[in-house]
Amino acid sequence: MLALVLWTIWPWLPSQRSNRPRTIVLYGFSILEPVITRGIFPAFQKKWMAETGQSVELISSFGGSGTVTNQLIMGVPAEIAILSTELDAQRLKKAGVIRTETWKELPHKGVINRTPFIIQVRPGNPKKIHDFSGLIQPGVRIVHTDPLTSGAANWAIVAEYGAAVRQPGSGPDAGRSMLRGIWRNVVVQAGSGRAARTQFDSGFGDALITYEQDAIWSLSRGSSRLEIVYPRSTILSEHTVVVIDSHVSGKEEKLIKAFVDFLWSEEAQRIFVESGFRSVDERLNSSNPRFGHIHDPFFIDDFGGWQKAKLSIIDDIWRNRVLKELKP
Amino acid sequence: MNQDKVFNRKISSMLPAGFLVLVLLPLLLLPLASVFIYALRGGLGNFGASLITADVLFALRFSLIIAFATAVINALLGTYAAYVLSKTRFPGREQLGIVLNLPVAIPNVVVGTSLLLLWGPIGLFGQMLEPLGIQPMFTPAAVLLAHIFVTFPYMLGTVKPVLDDLETTYEEAAYTMGASRWQTFLHIVFPALKGGLLTGSLLTFAHSLGEFGATVMVSGNLRLRTQTAPLYIFSQFESGNIQAANSVAAVLAILSFILFSLILFLAARTGKKGAQRGK
Repeated sequence: MLALVLWTIWPWLPSQRSNRPRTIVLYGFSILEPVITRGIFPAFQKKWMAETGQSVELISSFGGSGTVTNQLIMGVPAEIAILSTELDAQRLKKAGVIRTETWKELPHKGVINRTPFIIQVRPGNPKKIHDFSGLIQPGVRIVHTDPLTSGAANWAIVAEYGAAVRQPGSGPDAGRSMLRGIWRNVVVQAGSGRAARTQFDSGFGDALITYEQDAIWSLSRGSSRLEIVYPRSTILSEHTVVVIDSHVSGKEEKLIKAFVDFLWSEEAQRIFVESGFRSVDERLNSSNPRFGHIHDPFFIDDFGGWQKAKLSIIDDIWRNRVLKELKP
Repeated sequence: MNQDKVFNRKISSMLPAGFLVLVLLPLLLLPLASVFIYALRGGLGNFGASLITADVLFALRFSLIIAFATAVINALLGTYAAYVLSKTRFPGREQLGIVLNLPVAIPNVVVGTSLLLLWGPIGLFGQMLEPLGIQPMFTPAAVLLAHIFVTFPYMLGTVKPVLDDLETTYEEAAYTMGASRWQTFLHIVFPALKGGLLTGSLLTFAHSLGEFGATVMVSGNLRLRTQTAPLYIFSQFESGNIQAANSVAAVLAILSFILFSLILFLAARTGKKGAQRGK
């Protein structure tokens, strides 16, 4: 009993207190967890130790991008946030967590990496899904993320819509009918990209629309439960870094800046590529042979940026029309 | 022949137990067993390795400390509440008793959001504390507040019945001999309460160790800072690390088993003592 008590309080004993390392508090969207905690941060730790002789510890939390954003608005003490969509960064500004659109002053307007939206299917592709249009056939059970809490869901909806309207010879209603067809077949809405992957991995559903990175990550870890289908046309998601200035104390400013700069260094970008993200530095992307070819990639800027796409595609078409049409 | 009868009687006396186990197998026992099966899937080596990461060690320590602090605070607060509700008379006493028992019935998520709305930056207390630079939410203090809330009824439940049954004649006798209220409590009431106090504290400790719903709302789920063991299990499970999640779950299950064995043992012992005193 005494041993248990001693073990419990051990790190807080006076003799252990003095060598407390400096810390960085980071909140990130769900699929970032392995690459940040096992790739990026250890590399930064080593670099910081070599340059200053100080040890630094990462305090982190990961969840759906929307969930993380809500936590930030409620006041969690994050110094850095990495969000799935710029939409969530804009919500932070609107809620007063940051005063201005500070992420736009960072390299690449705050975007640290990209990944296209793809379709995961079962091995052998038993439902013969070769593009988003294959998802609307009756009897396909789709695992989707929930746009309320997940950034991936917002990207996926724009991907589905955009792929349809960019199809040559498509009518004016193509986007809406694609969304209607896909969402009729959605059987599960998961709270985050990571949660959706866990559900699909445990054998649920025929198809999952998600980040290419997530599929590559699963495959590289030996998962045999999935196969990637590359749509003809799809969106490349762009993930935004936000520094929460008001939470960064004066003496930590240099450390935080060094870490943020490191995110865009070639070393860090290579780590992202190794773990399945596409770098903002195009030259590095040839080094991962798992990246598939996309005939017609597009970006959120092709739809006027997130502010506009959120209103016109997510709110107006998906929420106000498609979801209502689907109600029995 | 006679032996057959004994055998048959033995069988028939074991039937109810066998039936119970059969019913509980899919409901309780197999799910519990699966925790251990998955925890040990990669062998004992993997089981050990997934327990000695910095995250797990912190989460377990943090959970134990919070559980201990919750148990101590609620032991004091709960006993005082039980004493007031049992020994004093005032209007609204019964209603207050009901309200104090509510935390077990309220969804834990609601507890979390209420705490956020009270102590968070937009809340009543939060706004008063903000100018002072104090922000209790998303710190260990927030976790403690949530656990005090959800486990409050346990002390009340174990201590109040003892106080209700305690003969007032002993107390009156003490008063007539000139003992103060405090002396009476210390020498007359407290010894009788010991069993209930311990059982209640252990129940509080056990529940706090496993608390999830309210904690996930108010803690911010920060690894190495506010992540309790149940939160660690959840986030590992969500990222597909089923073995790591179940390893920690197995440790919690074993800890709870020990705790509840202790509770049963104490309950049996105080029960006997009570019976002897009754004679």
